[in-house]
Amino acid sequence: MERKLQERKVNNIVCRCEEVTEQEIRDAIRKFNLTTVDEVKRLTRAGMGLCQGRTCGSLMEKILSEEINKKVSELLPLKKRPPVRPIKIKLLAKKERESE
Amino acid sequence: MNKTADVTVVGGGVIGCSIAYYLAKKGADVIVVEKNKGPSFGASGTNQGACPLQLFEPPVLELARQSLKLYKNLSEEIGYDIEYDNVGALVCSVDEKQYSDMKKHVEKKKKQGINVRLIEREELLKLEPTLGENVVVGVEEWESCGVNPFKVNYGFACAARRLGARFLFSTEVGKIEKDKDKVTSVATDKGKIITNFLVNAAGAWSPQIGKMLGLVIPVKPRRGQIIVTEPTPLNKRWRCISDADYLLTTAFDLKATEVSKDKRIKLGVAGVYLQESTGNWTIGSSRDFADYNTNVTMQTIRYIAKRAIKFIPKLKDVSCIRTFAGLRPFCYVDGLPILSKVDNPQNFVIATGHAGEGITLAPITGKLISELIVENKTSLPIDAFSFSRFKNAYLQNLG
Repeated sequence: MERKLQERKVNNIVCRCEEVTEQEIRDAIRKFNLTTVDEVKRLTRAGMGLCQGRTCGSLMEKILSEEINKKVSELLPLKKRPPVRPIKIKLLAKKERESE
Repeated sequence: MNKTADVTVVGGGVIGCSIAYYLAKKGADVIVVEKNKGPSFGASGTNQGACPLQLFEPPVLELARQSLKLYKNLSEEIGYDIEYDNVGALVCSVDEKQYSDMKKHVEKKKKQGINVRLIEREELLKLEPTLGENVVVGVEEWESCGVNPFKVNYGFACAARRLGARFLFSTEVGKIEKDKDKVTSVATDKGKIITNFLVNAAGAWSPQIGKMLGLVIPVKPRRGQIIVTEPTPLNKRWRCISDADYLLTTAFDLKATEVSKDKRIKLGVAGVYLQESTGNWTIGSSRDFADYNTNVTMQTIRYIAKRAIKFIPKLKDVSCIRTFAGLRPFCYVDGLPILSKVDNPQNFVIATGHAGEGITLAPITGKLISELIVENKTSLPIDAFSFSRFKNAYLQNLG
């Protein structure tokens, strides 16, 4: 039972978009002495996918807080950038007003 | 308690970490001071990681060439995969009027010893079906590469640390103490560092460090905005495609962008379209001055998106998942990097002003600055990047 739990932990997918496991995240934090979720993202790709960390962000925070013994509230939050949701490039390219 | 170091490097970006690595390799005792919580919080973390050789002109060209050579074996050397990707580079035009300029470009590049090839429209479309009907002509070259800029930055940092370099993150320089014509120590909010040399690799923030010593470093932050898309199937041949405008107007010629009546050129929008090995595209970039503001602006993003569709029409139905902006340290006198000692204080070294080329030039910058400090001579001439070149510029400005 104990071993099964351990295995599950290793292969636990944290970021479903980029398929990053819990173990990969823990390894990166330890190897590079990471202290921010942004750095975890940069080095593991967790949170770089379609949802931009909207699903896995809080899980990443929790893992980081465990690893560095800090409260989640003490961590620098994941940097948010537009768009709020994926948007087609052609919509981005569209004129906002005819006058432009 | 006071710390001591042979060299203190201010700035934990890709330039600072590269310098720290090459110095540590030569046996120097290095401390890197970075005000953010880790590396890559400035321009090093907000770029595309493209290193297109043919966009460089002398005197920077030789630096770029040597830097690309260093990149080739860097993963092996530092024991960490920086995701070196031999993407080559295609410079492409969508404007008939640029045809003759592109021909000139090819001739010039050949003379510079770069293995370029001009490709006419028909062949372009055959070789790369994702290119749009609008393309006129292209120039390809295969010495260029793409890298993962985060991994370069962290890779250098880790390798330096293994060699004994110390990193002080969340640490800000408050004051630099001098005795006659030498820096003696650096006071930070986490204590004092007594140091033999001080390197200013603070990128867009390097003028503030210069100011502490009464030096005017003519660098200001130039903002670049970039779009990231979801993954698409990999391009057949070219995954690094640059807009010919990049080379003909926006990137290097500040005057041309200022006087242009075209709003797009004014915002410096001319892109590098880079498809990473994951399939994601980064679509960049723009160049404007907005002080230290790192927000993206809807207007610029719109121009970037519109321009991208001209080159690669299928991007129009691809989703943008993120946008971001970074601040490139731009030397407003001549656009060239500053890699130099100064007369006073004589143990102060400047390594900044890399503008949009910081990733390309990081390895060679680290190597040269380490040589400058340890051996007091460099394996490549760096006179063109000396700090003393500004004296005349200032006198002219004043006169």
